[in-house]
Amino acid sequence: MGNSKGLALFKKGIMDGVPIGLGYLPLGIALGISAQKCGLALWIWSLMSGLLISGSAQAAVLNLFASGEVAIIAYVVTFFIVNSRYLLLSLSMVQRLDPNMSTLERLVFGFFNTDEIYAVAMRQPGKIKASYLFGIAIPPFASYMIAIVVGFLATELMPASVSSAFGITLYAMFLALVVPPMRGSRPVTVVVLCAVALNLICEAIPQIKATLTPGYTMMICAVVTAVIGACMYPLEKSENGE
Amino acid sequence: MNFQFLIWAILAMALVGYSIKAIPLAVFKKEIKNKFLSSFLHYIMYAVLTSMVVPEVIRSTSSPISALFGVVVAVVLGLVGQGLLVISLASTATVFIVERFMGFGF
Repeated sequence: MGNSKGLALFKKGIMDGVPIGLGYLPLGIALGISAQKCGLALWIWSLMSGLLISGSAQAAVLNLFASGEVAIIAYVVTFFIVNSRYLLLSLSMVQRLDPNMSTLERLVFGFFNTDEIYAVAMRQPGKIKASYLFGIAIPPFASYMIAIVVGFLATELMPASVSSAFGITLYAMFLALVVPPMRGSRPVTVVVLCAVALNLICEAIPQIKATLTPGYTMMICAVVTAVIGACMYPLEKSENGE
Repeated sequence: MNFQFLIWAILAMALVGYSIKAIPLAVFKKEIKNKFLSSFLHYIMYAVLTSMVVPEVIRSTSSPISALFGVVVAVVLGLVGQGLLVISLASTATVFIVERFMGFGF
């Protein structure tokens, strides 16, 4: 950074980050509403959001918390599973980073990286520069933090009928991430249907419900499903890091 | 309420999350070659998200019936290729309307 070219890239990054930030507003508000319903304190919720910056993982965490889970390991394992895709994203992104980007810059940017930032940054031609990445990281983070607080505070102002309807928003969001890729992808369709079937079986068997917490049931079903998917439909090289 | 375990859980998750996101950027320069591992990492996201929806979604609103309507709307819109925002809002609106219609929530 420092030179004029770096500044121009930084500004371009900010401009590219604004639409991502706007997209985070409804998500953050819906998450804030769920957090308030779970009985969290605002400062803990803000701390969690600022440190984790991951909508789907935080939704999973809220799920666990609402189910009464108190084992820290259950939270960590769930979080790891939901966020494990970042291993793939980071490993594919590293191929495109400017070789001059320092280790410190990489470590700082890594904190703010999200799926959407990754998707937009990877569409840039050529090597991705540090100044661009620092620009694109700012608007989404700022917008996310504002939205999670606004959602949390707005809940009390809402009538019960509205907040009941918002109970489904996060699940709809998960479906929005899962269902569209099923079109035209047999493997994804099989994986999703397999996960549905396994979870329904676990729900139907009282012995499983009595021994396993919802968090563990979820994780076991997910891992078994992904193993089945990986065995039945190993990825070809071109599909990697999608 | 006792939040102490949650604070430790948040710090532990932050550490894990940061390690996943940042360390590969700073350390690894090579693509994953193992076919099984890269396939597993590709599918696990779909498996986890689906497992979070089923069966919990049915208990997410005032009535399983309104939740079911919300799910159907989200799946149909997803199958015709709508995006995150449209699906979330339409599903939420559906639940609201169905519950008004059924007399739940009031």
